[in-house]
Amino acid sequence: MTEVFSLRPLAAVLVSAIAIVPILLSARRPDLRESWTVLAALSMFGIIASMVPGVLSGTVYATRLGAFLPGVEFALRADPLGLLFGLLASLLWIVTSFYSMGYMRGLDEHAQTRYFAAFAASVSSAVGVAFASNLFVLFVFYELLTVATYPLVSHDETDEARAAGRKYLAYTFGGGVAVFAGAVLVYWLTGTVAFTPGGIASLANADPMMARVAFALLAGGFGVKAALMPLHSWLPDAMVAPTPVSGLLHAVAVVKSGVFGIARLVLDIYGPGLVGDLGMGTALAAVAAFTLVVASVIALRQDNLKRRLAFSTVSQLSYIVLGLAVGAAAVGSPGRASAFALVGGLLHIPAHAFMKLTLFFCAGALHVETHTDDISNMAGIGRRMPLTMGAFAVAAAGMAGIPIVAGFVSKYFLLIGAVSAGGTIYAVALLVSGVLNIAYFWPIVYTAFFEMPTETDHKPLVEGPSGGRFAGTDPGTVTDGGRGERHPDGGDSDTDHGFAGDHEGQGVQDTVEAAHQLDEEHGPDDRLDWEHRRWTGAESTWLMLGPICFAAAGSVVLGIVPDFAVFLEIVRLVVENVTGVVI
Amino acid sequence: MIDAALAAGPVELLATRSYYVGTFLLLGIGAYVMIASPNLVKKVIGMNIFQTGIFLFFIAAAYVDGAQSPVLEQAGPYVSPLPHVLILTAIVVGVSLTAVALGLIVRIYNEYGTLEADVLQEVRTDD
Amino acid sequence: MTDLPPFLVVLPLVASVVVLFAGLVRSKTGWPIAALAGLGQLGLAAVAVYRVFTAGPTSYVVGGYESFYGIELVIDGLSASAVLLVAAVSLGVLAYARTAGPRGNPFYATYLLLIGGLTGVAVTGDVFNMYVFIEISGLTAYALVASGDTGRSAVAALKYLIVGTVGASLYLLGVGYAYIGTGTLNMADLSAQLAQVGYGSTLVQTAFVFIAIGLFIKTAVFPLHTWQPEAYAGSPDSVSGLISALVSTTFAYALIRVSLSVFTPDFFATADLAQTLLLVGAVVSIVAGSLLAVSQTEIKRMLAYSSVSQFGLVLAGLAVLNQTAIVGTSVHLLSHAIMKGGLFLAAGLIATATGAREVHEYEGLSERMPYAAGAFAVLALSMVGVPPTVGFVGKWYIAFGAVQAQLWPLAAIILASTLLTLAYFARLVERMYFREPATMADRAESEATAAQPDAVVADGGRPSVGMYAAVFVAAVLAVTLGAAVVPFAEQLAPTLELLLS
Repeated sequence: MTEVFSLRPLAAVLVSAIAIVPILLSARRPDLRESWTVLAALSMFGIIASMVPGVLSGTVYATRLGAFLPGVEFALRADPLGLLFGLLASLLWIVTSFYSMGYMRGLDEHAQTRYFAAFAASVSSAVGVAFASNLFVLFVFYELLTVATYPLVSHDETDEARAAGRKYLAYTFGGGVAVFAGAVLVYWLTGTVAFTPGGIASLANADPMMARVAFALLAGGFGVKAALMPLHSWLPDAMVAPTPVSGLLHAVAVVKSGVFGIARLVLDIYGPGLVGDLGMGTALAAVAAFTLVVASVIALRQDNLKRRLAFSTVSQLSYIVLGLAVGAAAVGSPGRASAFALVGGLLHIPAHAFMKLTLFFCAGALHVETHTDDISNMAGIGRRMPLTMGAFAVAAAGMAGIPIVAGFVSKYFLLIGAVSAGGTIYAVALLVSGVLNIAYFWPIVYTAFFEMPTETDHKPLVEGPSGGRFAGTDPGTVTDGGRGERHPDGGDSDTDHGFAGDHEGQGVQDTVEAAHQLDEEHGPDDRLDWEHRRWTGAESTWLMLGPICFAAAGSVVLGIVPDFAVFLEIVRLVVENVTGVVI
Repeated sequence: MIDAALAAGPVELLATRSYYVGTFLLLGIGAYVMIASPNLVKKVIGMNIFQTGIFLFFIAAAYVDGAQSPVLEQAGPYVSPLPHVLILTAIVVGVSLTAVALGLIVRIYNEYGTLEADVLQEVRTDD
Repeated sequence: MTDLPPFLVVLPLVASVVVLFAGLVRSKTGWPIAALAGLGQLGLAAVAVYRVFTAGPTSYVVGGYESFYGIELVIDGLSASAVLLVAAVSLGVLAYARTAGPRGNPFYATYLLLIGGLTGVAVTGDVFNMYVFIEISGLTAYALVASGDTGRSAVAALKYLIVGTVGASLYLLGVGYAYIGTGTLNMADLSAQLAQVGYGSTLVQTAFVFIAIGLFIKTAVFPLHTWQPEAYAGSPDSVSGLISALVSTTFAYALIRVSLSVFTPDFFATADLAQTLLLVGAVVSIVAGSLLAVSQTEIKRMLAYSSVSQFGLVLAGLAVLNQTAIVGTSVHLLSHAIMKGGLFLAAGLIATATGAREVHEYEGLSERMPYAAGAFAVLALSMVGVPPTVGFVGKWYIAFGAVQAQLWPLAAIILASTLLTLAYFARLVERMYFREPATMADRAESEATAAQPDAVVADGGRPSVGMYAAVFVAAVLAVTLGAAVVPFAEQLAPTLELLLS
C-alpha cells in the first residue's frame, strides 16, 4: 500500500459540515435549503467515489493535520475499510435526502431546518468515523456523531421523544466513556493508537490481562452503538425519531459506526490473530450469537412495525460482529475459514444497509400515506401501496437470506466461515435466526397482500400475553407465577409496542387512524377495504418511491452480481490486507 | 524540635510551650464562636479571635530567651524581627477585613432588620 | 528587561487608584481607564508568556535586596499562563460589564485591584507575599460580590468573607509552621530547607496540611465549598463570570505552586498522607459536586456546583503528580476558566434578555434566543468533554496521567465524571431545544420573579454587542483551543521538568 497525500478525505468530511451553514441560513426557503442538502450529498459521494479506483489499486489517500494529542496525529485516511463505510454512508445519504424531503413535507413536520442541519452534521461525523486514522480521531467523530444525532432522536419534542433522547445520550456517552478508557489503555500499553492492518505489533507483547480489559472496554463501548445485547435498549426507543433518521442513521450510519469500530478494533488494532489468542474472539462471538437469536425472538412480538425493524436491526448487526469474531477466533484453523467469516461479516455491512433502508423507507411511506404504524392494522394494505409493499417483500426476503437478494451472499460467506472453522454452534445460531427472520417478516407480507381489513387471522404471538397462555383461559390464573393479567377487561390488543397509547400513530390511536382510511366503496364487494392504487406510483410521491426502488434494486444487485458491485471487491481487499488470504 | 518536645511528655509540653497552647485555645474559641453564634457581629468577633490566635503563634515563634526587642541601640541578641513585620502586615489585612465585614453587616441590617443568622434565613426564604 | 514581573502587578494597582481618583473629578471615567489598563495588562502578559517560552523563566527581587531576603517574583511557564489567563478573562468580562453593570468608578477600581491581587498570587515567589496577595484578591472579591446592591449579595459576601478568611488564616498558619521549621519564606529556599528538616517530620507535614486545607477552602473543594454557590449566585452577572473564572482558579494555581515548588514531588513520595488528602478531596469533589449540581433549580447555583466538581478534576491531576497529569491540570485549569466564565456570562445574558434564572425557565429558549442558546450549548458540551473541544483534551491528559500512574480507581472516576457532567447539562440542553416555550402563565410568573428586587439584573434590557461578543469568544475558544494544547504542552514541558525533578 502506498500512501498519497490528498485533501479528498478531509473534503469528504467537511463538505456536509460546511453545508450546515447555508442550510441554516436558508431556513425560510425550503427549496433552496434542500438543494444545499442534495448538493452536499452529491459532492460528498463524488469525492468519495473518486477515491475508489485508487484505493482498489492499493493507494491510500491521507490528510494529515498535525498533532492532536502527544504522539497522536489528527489524520484522515481513506483506506479500504474506511472507504467501504464512507462510500456506503455517502451513497445512501443521497437517496435518503430525497426521501427526507418527501417524508418531512408529506407530514408537514416542524423544525425541518434543524432536522436537515443535524442530518448533514451526522453524515459528516459518520464519514469522519470512516476515515479516522487512529483510535482517538475515531473517538472524536464517534462522540460528535452522538451529539449530532441527538436532535434527530428528540425531534418530536414529545415527552416520549425527550425520554428516548435522554436514554440515547446516556447509553452512547456511556459507551463513549468506555471507548475513551479503552483507547487510553491501548495508548498506554503500546504508545500508539494508529490503525495498522493486522494489528499493532507491540500489543502482542503487552500484559495480556490489560490487553483483555482494553479490548472489553472498547468492544463494550462500540457495542453500545452496535446494539449488542444487553446494551441495545436505546435503539428500539430511538425509533420515535422520523423514519428517514431511523433508516439512514439507526440502520446505517450510527449503528454501523459501532460495528465499524469493532471492525477497526479486531482488524486494525488487535489484529484477528491476537483477538483469537486472547480468547476475546470466542467471547465476542458468544455475545453476538446470543444477541442475534434473542433479538429475533423479541422481534416476533413487536406489533409496531418500526420497533420490529429495530429489533431486526439489533439481530442483523450481530451477524456482522459474529463474522468478525468468528474470523478472529478461527485464525489458527485450517483453510480459509477466518477469511471467509471476515468477508461475510464485512459484506453484511453494505448488504444489511441496503435492505434495512428499504424496509424503513417502506415503513415511513406507510406512515406518511396511511398513518398506520402497527402491523395489526395493515391487513390488506398491499392494495393501497403495492409498490412499497412489493419492495418490502423483496428486502424482507433478503434479510432472511433467500438467494438473489444481498443478504444471501453475506450469510453464505458467514456460514462457510463458521462451519469450516468448526463453529457449528454459530452456524446453528445463524440458521435459527434465518428461520426467525422469516417468522417475523412473513406475517407482514402475508397480512399486507393476503388479508382483508375485516378478515384477519389470529396472531397469537402478538395478541396473546407473553408467558405462553392460550387466549380464552381464565384471566385470573397466572401460569408462570409472574405478573397478573394486565388488562382486566381482557381481549384488548396487546400494548407491548413500547409507546404511549395516545402517541401519534401508535396503539389505539393507530387503529383509529387506520379505520379512517377504510371505506366500503374501495373493495370489489361491500366490505371495508383500503383504496386500490395501481403499481405505477400512484400510491405516493416519487420523492419517496424513488429512494425505495433504488434501495431495493441495490439489494438485488448486491445479491445477483456481487462481483460487479464494488463493495465485495473492497471487502476482499480489506481481508487480504489483514490476513494475507485471497478470497 | 517539636518532635523532641513531644517525646518529653504532655506535661512538659504544656509547661515549655504554653504560648502555643494559648494559640490553639484562641483558634478553638474563635472557630467555635464563628460556627455556634447566630449573631453576625459575634461571628466577626470570632473571626478576629481566630486571626489573633495565629498572630500570637507567629510572635511566640519569634521569641528568644533573654533577648531584646530588635532595636539597634540595644545590645543583642535580638528576637527575630521578621515575624513582627509579617504580623503587622497581617493585622492590617485583618483590620480591613473586619471593616468590610461590618460594612456588609450594616447593609444586611438595613435590608432585613435583623442580625441573627437563623432569623435572616427565615426572612429570606419568605421572599 | 527583567523588570517585567513587578509591572504586571503594579499596572493594575496603579490603574485602580487612578480610576478611583478620576471618579472624583468626572463620573463615568471608570470603564475607559479600566479597559486601557486591561489592554496594557494583556500586552504585558503576552510579552511575559512570549519571553518565558523563548528564553526560559525569569525572576526579580523587589527593592534590590539579595535573593532569599527580599520578596522574589518568579515567572515560569505556569505562572505566565496564569497571568495571561487573568488578563484575557478580565478584559473579556470588562467588555461584558460595560452595559451589564455594575457601573461606577468604585466598582472598576475594585475590579482592577482584584486583577492586581490575582496576578500577584500568580507571580510571587514568596509564601508570605502570597498570603498578602491572597487576602487582597479575597477582600476585593468579597467587595465585588457585595456590589450587587441587594440583600442577597450582601449576605453571600459576608458568608464568603468569613469562610474565606478562615481559609486564608489556615494558610497563614501553615506558612507559620514552615517558617518555624526553616526560618525562611522564599519558595526556592524554603523548598531546600524543608528537605533538610526531613519530609517525614510532623512539622513539615502539618504545615502542608494546613496550607492545603486553607487553599481547599479558597478553591471550594467539597465539603469546604459552602461559601461558593451563594457567592456565585448572589453576585451580579459580570462579577460571577469574573470570580468563577479567575478567583478559584488562581487559588488552585497557588495550591499547585506550593505543592510543586515548595513541597516538591519528593515530599509526596514520602508523605502518603499528603497525596491521600489530595486524592480524597479530588474524588469527593468530583462526585458530590456533580450530584449537587443535578439537584439545583437555579442556573447559577448549578454552574457553581459544577465548578466544585471540575476543581475536583484539577485536584485529581495534581494528586497524580506526573508530567502528563500536571499538563492536564494546567490545561483544565485554564480551559475551565474560559468555559465556566463563558457559561456564567451566557446565563447572565439570557437572564438580562428574558429574565430566566431557573432551570425550568430555559424551556424553549432556542427559539427565543437562538444565538445565546447555541453558545450556551457549545460551552456546555465542551464542559462535558465532547471531543475535539478543549474540555476533552484537558480531561484526556489527566486521565492518561492517572493510567500511567496506575491509579485505576481514580482513572475510573475521572472518566465517569464525563457522564456526571452530562447529567446536569443534558437536561438544560434538552429544555432549551426540545421543549415548547413556557406557557403564558409560567411566563407571567417568571416576569414577576424578574421584577423582584432579589433578581440582580432585572431591567429586562437588550443585551449589548459587548455581552454577546464576550460569550461568543468564550464559546469559540472552547472549541478551537483544543488544537493549541499540544504546542502549549510542549512549551510547558521545560517548566514542569524543573518542577517535577
